[in-house]
Amino acid sequence: MDAAAQTFRDLLERHQARVFSIAFRILGDGGAAEEVAQDVFLELYRNLNRLESDEHVAAWLRRVTCHRATDALRRRAARGDAAAEEYQDGMGLRTVVRDFMPLMNRVEQLLLTLPPAQRSVMLLRYQEDLEPEDIAIELEMPLATVRSHLQRALKLLREKANRTLKEYSRG
Amino acid sequence: MVEELGNREDSFERELREQLRARSAPAGFAERVMARVSERRRPRPLWQPAWRWAAIAAVIVVTVLGGVEHDRQQRIAGERARQQVILALHITGTTLRQVQEKVHMQANSENNQ
Repeated sequence: MDAAAQTFRDLLERHQARVFSIAFRILGDGGAAEEVAQDVFLELYRNLNRLESDEHVAAWLRRVTCHRATDALRRRAARGDAAAEEYQDGMGLRTVVRDFMPLMNRVEQLLLTLPPAQRSVMLLRYQEDLEPEDIAIELEMPLATVRSHLQRALKLLREKANRTLKEYSRG
Repeated sequence: MVEELGNREDSFERELREQLRARSAPAGFAERVMARVSERRRPRPLWQPAWRWAAIAAVIVVTVLGGVEHDRQQRIAGERARQQVILALHITGTTLRQVQEKVHMQANSENNQ
């Protein structure tokens, strides 16, 4: 393996969990998430000489993964995918949980009930530990929009989590 | 998800972070990506669809251009032939007039004797 390929391999192993996790938690589908994640790394390979440091690579990967996964979700919705329609129609939590429970933990399941833009922001905040200012830069979104997404998403998730707890304790 | 009054926000956000730690990529993921990278680096053989269509397009272009050139050459040859016929007729015409004049002169000379 030549030096460029080895450098790329090192980056791939260091960042594959991050990229796959973001894609999986936006898409809610392991196969689709792997497809997006592979495409992201191929694009990284083509753009490697433009990236200056490991931090730069990580920021680039987060941004591109969020965009590609969100695009894939939109295309799936446009094709009339039944699972995607469930998210957009805001169907009850129970439906989403039943479909994906074997693969996802409870927070991941709750995240899928959020609109895609809020999912991306929440992942960069709680998976990647970024401050709202950095999220705004990486997603090229106004800071006020980022804060608004975080506030609404947290409120929604708390309500759903409390509702689920009550249903489980009743049931 | 246990929440206590007064600590609700903190504990909820702590649980979010706990459950959203990056999960591992599927087994073999890195190998599959490297295989696709190697595939892209390999030069494409001529029979690949992209090369095949390029070859077909090249043949079409050469055929069309060849046909256009053939027509042009034929037109040039035709024009050359036309010019030669005209010249031949001109020469013939000139020669005939000269012969007629000689015959006429000879006839006049015989009459005068």
